[in-house]
Amino acid sequence: MSNTNERSNPSDFGSRTETFACVWCGLTVTARAPDGGRRNHCPSCLQSRHVHDHVAGGPSECQARMSPISIAVPRNGDWKIVHRCTRCDELTAHGVHGDDNQLILMRLAVRPLAQPPFPLEVFGNL
Amino acid sequence: MPRRNPRHPDRRTQRRKDVTHRADQRPGGAFRCAGCRLDVPLGAPGTAHRNHCPQCLISLHVDGRVPGDRAADCGGRMEALSLFARPDGEWMLIHHCLVCGELSANRIAGDDNPLALLRMAVRPLSDSRVPVRALLAL
Ligand SMILES: [Zn+2]
Ligand SMILES: [Zn+2]
Ligand SMILES: [Zn+2]
Ligand SMILES: [Zn+2]
Repeated sequence: MSNTNERSNPSDFGSRTETFACVWCGLTVTARAPDGGRRNHCPSCLQSRHVHDHVAGGPSECQARMSPISIAVPRNGDWKIVHRCTRCDELTAHGVHGDDNQLILMRLAVRPLAQPPFPLEVFGNL
Repeated sequence: MPRRNPRHPDRRTQRRKDVTHRADQRPGGAFRCAGCRLDVPLGAPGTAHRNHCPQCLISLHVDGRVPGDRAADCGGRMEALSLFARPDGEWMLIHHCLVCGELSANRIAGDDNPLALLRMAVRPLSDSRVPVRALLAL
């Protein structure tokens, strides 16, 4: 439940009017994604915000920006974006939504292969 | 297996850790992996301490916020969830605790199985549900 406007009433969720402003690019986005799920990140730049304390539960005092660092592919399930807090290094994983920026998702997905720690040639034709 | 990227000192302080898998500690400086049962030497090339099995990449939830601090009481099995490259190019694994859900980021070691790492790296690209090739052509 990151990146949500604090002033909004949680019970408002589901109303099509609830919005939040992206902490990074400033885009105003609806809290509800087209698939009905609650957004935790901006669909345009995929940045999020550390608003939930997952250890103690409830709201976090951190509030810093969380940047997307990795794409996780659960065995049976949709892609997840791993976010890391730019201030406290907290890690979260949240599902992607249908209108998330596909180019940024792809860039995240291929980035490790641009800098492999070993020569990929040794694998031949995989 | 040669490594292209030079090793950089850790940004966070790390305390030296004796064992990764405390339940299976055994003499001779090795432990038995909780996942694949491999006998793994404690020393890991290129890192201050070994965090995960070099063959199956499975770890145990024994650390808190600082790698090597042994501050977690959980002890659950942690599976490699995904992989990313730091700005300096070094590959890092994201581990996910199957018991409590905690996520942690860990450096790869010099003797981690390259094929296991590569499988993690290409997982998003080999997902048949996503038209990756079409997107890459954009
Ligand atoms: Zn944004
Ligand atoms: Zn934070
Ligand atoms: Zn193993
Ligand atoms: Zn745990």
